[in-house]
Amino acid sequence: MKIQKLLDKLKDILSADRHAQLEKYKSLKKVLKSLRVEKKGLEKELSDTIDAEKQQEISSRLKIISMQRKKGLKLLRELKEDRKRNK
Amino acid sequence: MMRAPENGCPSIPLLRRHIGQLWLQPMLRKTFLPAIFLLLAYGFAVSADFKTITAGVAIFLFGMLSLEEGFKTFTAGTLEKILKASTNSLLKSMTFGVVATSIMQSSSLVSVITISFLSAGLLELASGIGIIFGANLGTTTGAWLVAGFGLKVNLSAYAMPMLVFGIILVFQRAKSLKGAGYVLAGLGFLFLGIHYMKDGFDSFGQTIDLAEYTMTGYAGVVVFAGIGAAATVVMQSSHAMLVLILAALATHQISYENALALAIGSNVGTTVTAIIGSLGASADGKRLALAHLVFNVVTGLLAIVGIYELMVAVEWISARLGIAADNYTLQLAVFHSLFNLIGIVVMLPLLGLLVRFVEKLIVSEQVEIERPIYLSGASIEIRDAAVESVKKESIRLYDLAAGVIADGLSIQRDALETEEKLKHVLRKSTDVIDEDIDDLYERKLKALYGAIVEYVIQSRGGYAEGRMKEELNSLRQAGQHVIEAVKGVKHLRKNLTRSLRSDDSTVKKEYDRLRKLILKVLRDIDVVRTADVGSRSVLPFDRLKLDIEEKTRQFSEGLDMLIRKGSIDVHTATSLMNDISYCKETCWDLVEAGSVLFSESDPDEKDAIQSIALGEREIIEMMDNADEGAAR
Repeated sequence: MKIQKLLDKLKDILSADRHAQLEKYKSLKKVLKSLRVEKKGLEKELSDTIDAEKQQEISSRLKIISMQRKKGLKLLRELKEDRKRNK
Repeated sequence: MMRAPENGCPSIPLLRRHIGQLWLQPMLRKTFLPAIFLLLAYGFAVSADFKTITAGVAIFLFGMLSLEEGFKTFTAGTLEKILKASTNSLLKSMTFGVVATSIMQSSSLVSVITISFLSAGLLELASGIGIIFGANLGTTTGAWLVAGFGLKVNLSAYAMPMLVFGIILVFQRAKSLKGAGYVLAGLGFLFLGIHYMKDGFDSFGQTIDLAEYTMTGYAGVVVFAGIGAAATVVMQSSHAMLVLILAALATHQISYENALALAIGSNVGTTVTAIIGSLGASADGKRLALAHLVFNVVTGLLAIVGIYELMVAVEWISARLGIAADNYTLQLAVFHSLFNLIGIVVMLPLLGLLVRFVEKLIVSEQVEIERPIYLSGASIEIRDAAVESVKKESIRLYDLAAGVIADGLSIQRDALETEEKLKHVLRKSTDVIDEDIDDLYERKLKALYGAIVEYVIQSRGGYAEGRMKEELNSLRQAGQHVIEAVKGVKHLRKNLTRSLRSDDSTVKKEYDRLRKLILKVLRDIDVVRTADVGSRSVLPFDRLKLDIEEKTRQFSEGLDMLIRKGSIDVHTATSLMNDISYCKETCWDLVEAGSVLFSESDPDEKDAIQSIALGEREIIEMMDNADEGAAR
């Protein structure tokens, strides 16, 4: 098992395609993480605010972030499956 | 936010135009008119005869307007053909000026036609000046007609039937009959005006003797020439002024010598109105007005200096023509013709010099075509600099386009950069900004975008590959979105302008919503643009996209409601539907351009961020899901 993992890592280093795929995977994960942090912050802001106009604005931003995350997570899954297939 | 300068340094003629428009015209408007009104009101309160005389002047001027209107009907065809055929030599031009002004009895109408021909490039400046020389001589026929005929005959007897027939013809549908009606009514009003002026001076002479204020010697000539010039500026017609002088002279209210000085002044004064009128005209129009001024000032100065010699000459000519020695009105007509003729004789050999002088003084305003400032042959050779140059130039294109869009929406450009509430901005922006958007698009944007495209193609064909090629392509695409956004506003502007000018508050409100949305999008893009680098990712633009979709959907629903209620007619509703669509496309184009031009992110994350940015289909899907959720 450990050898398999080591071999995968070696493939990631030696194959340009796999390397690019891995970089894409990592950066997407990073962006999704920052969106999750932003989402949590906005949710807190929404619960704290009483201004209706502000609430509406935060809600629409939350809707957008949720949609972006949904799209990103789908892409992330696809990238993961690709990597599995290319092993 | 710093915007790139729209032009370089403004040219001197442009500055002159701005000074003229911003300073001179408002100054005149603010002080000149109220002063004249006060003076007239005082005159009306003091003297009933003054009222009759000024009413006579007013009716006379109205007659001139009507006459001009009538002649304009015929200018589109016959007069233009005659003008084209009769201005190919200086002599012909001058003859045309004399004949046309004699027939129309309005040198200003002849000047206007000449300026329009000059602007259209159908006439040389020298020929134009020739016409003006001739018009100066032609306008003296008015003095002959009034002095020889008008003051001896009861003109009102002719005026009444002319007015009746003229007005009946004005109500006819046929263009030629209508034009003839205006001419006839115009002549009727002219005669009626002369009659009132004469009547006024007749009874005025029985109460006050203006002759007491007669001044003799050169001081009198200069003072009365000044009065003549000022009065002509007020009346905007040397012809009316001349009739007034003749009427006053016939009733012995002014001395013969002072009447001559008034006529000289009037000749100079008439050019001041032409100069004010030419402030908004083309360079050639301004040159013509300046040449007119130079000619009349030189002629006036010659007449003032040699007034006593001219009086002797007039006496001699009058004796030869059989004019009685005490017939001062006809002698004034002789004097008027004589000094204008002398002016022509003196100035004709200097015509070439005059043309060069006015051309040197008034420089043609070059059509300013926006040129790229960041795209240089040097940067195209350096790979990193090429992308940066295209980006900077594209941002400049965006800024210029934002200004044109603001003009198109009739919103002051400052409103893009202030934090003033949108509803306040719209409340203030009720007047149409009279900019030629098509012209701005052609001169400012199209040429610049063309330069960007050319530069991108050149660098892409040469060395650009991989990421750099993609970046250049997306920048070119952003430029295309900017251009499309302006085109959208160009479509929208037609009905928007109509709504601003209409009294229909419902339609106005609907168009205000469209304006508000576009302005909001421009401002929101600026918010992202000026944010910290960390927050300038492409993702905030998705929120703008959602906003656009939500708002335009609300507009459409609101429109349906208005149609159902019958608050809006179907024709307007159809136009609004199209305009909502233009508004939406414009906003989307701006957002697409902004997301390329103003987003900044870590190069490693750029692809990932772009891969999760939402497209139009996803935004619509999201909204549909939200609607379904709300319905459940």
